[in-house]
Amino acid sequence: MEALKIRNASAMPAPTWSWLRMNAATLEVPEGLERVRAVTVEADSDLTETHASFEGALAALQERLDAARGDEGDGRACVRAATAEAESLEDLDTPALSAYQLRATREEVAGDVAAAFETGIGVDARSYLNFLAGGTVVLATEPGADEAACVRVAGEAGGAAAASVDVVAAEDSTLSLTVSLDGAGSEGAAGLVGSELRVFAGARSHVDVCVYVTAEEGFTVLDDSGYVLDEGARVSVRHVVLGGGRTATGLAADLRGDTARMDVATSYLASGEEQRDFTYTIRHRGRRTVSNMDANGVLTGTAKKVLRGTIDLVHGCKGSEGSERETVLLASQGVDNKTVPTILCDEDDVAGNHGATIGHVRPEQLFYLGCRGLSPEAAEALFVTAKLEDAANGAPDAQVRANVERLAARVDPRFDADDRDETEEERA
Amino acid sequence: MAKQRTEVADIDRSLYDFRDSEEGFERLDAGLTPEIVTEISERKDEPAWMLEFRLKSLEIYNSMPNPTWGPSIAGLDMDHIVTYVKPNTDQKADWESVPDDIKNTFERLGIPEAERSYLAGVGAQYDSELVYHNMQDTASKMGIVYSGIEEALHDERWEPLIRERFMTLIPPTDHKFAALHGAVWSGGSFVYVPAGVKLDFPLQSYFRLNAAGAGQFEHTLIIVEDDADLHFIEGCSAPKYYEANLHAGAVELFVKDGARLRYSTIENWSKNMYNLNTKRARCEEEGEIEWISGSFGSHVGYLYPMSVLAGRRAKSSFTGITFAGAGQNLDTGCKVVLAAPETTATVETKGISKGGGIQTFRSSIVATPAAEGSAATVSCQSLMLDDESRSDTIPAMDIRAKNVDIGHEATIGRIGDDKVFYLMSRGISEEEARTMIVNGFAEPISKELPLEYAVEMNNLIKLEMEGAIG
Repeated sequence: MEALKIRNASAMPAPTWSWLRMNAATLEVPEGLERVRAVTVEADSDLTETHASFEGALAALQERLDAARGDEGDGRACVRAATAEAESLEDLDTPALSAYQLRATREEVAGDVAAAFETGIGVDARSYLNFLAGGTVVLATEPGADEAACVRVAGEAGGAAAASVDVVAAEDSTLSLTVSLDGAGSEGAAGLVGSELRVFAGARSHVDVCVYVTAEEGFTVLDDSGYVLDEGARVSVRHVVLGGGRTATGLAADLRGDTARMDVATSYLASGEEQRDFTYTIRHRGRRTVSNMDANGVLTGTAKKVLRGTIDLVHGCKGSEGSERETVLLASQGVDNKTVPTILCDEDDVAGNHGATIGHVRPEQLFYLGCRGLSPEAAEALFVTAKLEDAANGAPDAQVRANVERLAARVDPRFDADDRDETEEERA
Repeated sequence: MAKQRTEVADIDRSLYDFRDSEEGFERLDAGLTPEIVTEISERKDEPAWMLEFRLKSLEIYNSMPNPTWGPSIAGLDMDHIVTYVKPNTDQKADWESVPDDIKNTFERLGIPEAERSYLAGVGAQYDSELVYHNMQDTASKMGIVYSGIEEALHDERWEPLIRERFMTLIPPTDHKFAALHGAVWSGGSFVYVPAGVKLDFPLQSYFRLNAAGAGQFEHTLIIVEDDADLHFIEGCSAPKYYEANLHAGAVELFVKDGARLRYSTIENWSKNMYNLNTKRARCEEEGEIEWISGSFGSHVGYLYPMSVLAGRRAKSSFTGITFAGAGQNLDTGCKVVLAAPETTATVETKGISKGGGIQTFRSSIVATPAAEGSAATVSCQSLMLDDESRSDTIPAMDIRAKNVDIGHEATIGRIGDDKVFYLMSRGISEEEARTMIVNGFAEPISKELPLEYAVEMNNLIKLEMEGAIG
């Protein structure tokens, strides 16, 4: 295949100054890659043999929302501005909206679930990944069921492989999904692995998604996902990104139903010249919805990282709370860490907060470790080892753990697979 | 969460919303052409380099796009903006010589009284030109220079310095409205504080834009030499019209080794104003810049004072409050570049939005590889006073140095019931509790202002509580 550039990918909903070069990414797919099928889906036939569809689930939700929707007019200033033919100073009580505020207001007024659906990296990446996948696997639970599934993309040098998965979790059901994006090959050899995931979490369902990225440094990794949560749904996502020369992780969530909850925990490591790109957008639309984003990472060498996290408290999401935290350890001179933790708030009866801590190992920690004979460099290297060990210990299955250990053996000479804790599976 | 909300009154702008006749004033044609730019320069009898600079800036302006990331400026049609309006007087050094109508305007705004009470010097600009400039003898005897920048440009002692520094911190290529400023700037102040001189009383410039459909483009250039200390205050206001007015001023501040500069602003433009102002400071070794900023007016505001910490152990602090009422979209914040070792920056902002108003906090903290051992903290809090308004927070951090500590905290929400309950449980009435909480929200900013300006700010945020807390 020819080289490909996906422009304006992973775009922030509300952009900042262009000169910071954080608003979006240009993703480059190297030329010469062959489209390959390297996807394994491990799931019971209960899950895969289904007539349910993601679109069908959205349509049913739309029908319910439309039935509950009142037809009273909306005289708010932003709606007047969004519906005016042209901007005018004749009415000084109507504000001049920015482009994203205009788009948000129109989207809110339209109330169209399908039209508002989005994924973190965006439409063009979605199309590309779907093309690579060649077809979409649908995993659908029955009401009240408790299921598990695993999707493995095992890339190889010179190949481009991706999975496309739709999840439809019926009401009161539980689903645990593991996605492994791995790619091994000779040092520096190019490859691409990716996944395109759409999740509809039905009323009161629980969906846990765990994504491990363990590809070698020659690989480009595209992990794109979009979630729609119905009333009372709970979704937990864990992104563990340890490898890949250039990775893009994107997640967008629509907390449409009341009391829906979304928790996203991200753990990452970037070393050498690796680049990490994370884009998270969580839109609170239902009442009393809750979101938490928690990112924790280590950067070494001349690695680069961008994290765009947006909590969008949409008008009408009364009683909702969104929280975002990030901790980054910069373990080398030469790293580049960019963070934009954004809160958009169009509702007063809400709470939104975010915090970020960016720095190095604290002096008191270094002193403590120094007393035990560790140099500052060795102390900081410990954090890399700890990140890898934590990932190995928390791996969802033996195969993913083996992937982590293979990568760790290359990245960190201190890593000792025998030192890590035994998992429940191994003990059994 | 509570069912009823705090009621906060709109800002009472009647104090500022009066108009004077333009009889006897000279207006150039609306629009932006090389001929208009040349005429502005010729009227000011400027050196050739400045005309060349203006025309080059106009070229840059024409080649640059409008910003797409902020509030819409589609309502600002430059073809209908008059870039130069000269009042019917030249600059005076005593208020009695200023024409009555203009003098009365500044009297109503309290400027001469403030000068008598506590200021070391005052500059007053009306539309495109300074109409009054004066400094106390004690300050001039200390060697401080405070004059109109055009006046200084015609003074052979200062012309080389201005030429060396003018629009070097804010080059016309920075953004479209910096280029516009470079092309049509008019008026503004020049301040030079010699090494070691510490001025105990502030200097103040006040900008009044009276003309409908006009722009104001004043340029402020301040140089504070080694170990010197200055507090500079700027204020501004305009009457309300139903057509666009534009403010695109520029402020360039040079803070040398060990020097300190406090720059306070109360921005109170009318609600038809597009305020696209640019402010920037460069601090050398152990230099310190303190920004105090209150943004209350304008239809659209883009305002982000920037600190470039270029010398070891340079410091920056930004303390700001933004109040966006009906019809306003105020996009404010600050930028900091940590470009030397052991530099420190603190940012503390408060935002209030009500009545359908929109306030956005936007910031950037950039730590270059040279910023070893530097630290920055950012704290922003936004208060939503009703469910028709909007409050966004878009802070960016780009950290490229290893041994730095960067912390960021932000919260958005309404006044919590728990706070009211706590105060009420200590015997404070609900009404008092509400007032205390909202005043307390703004207090970290108002306490940084001189007393008279804190009073003005409290007037601007006229809080009227009724009903239960929300």
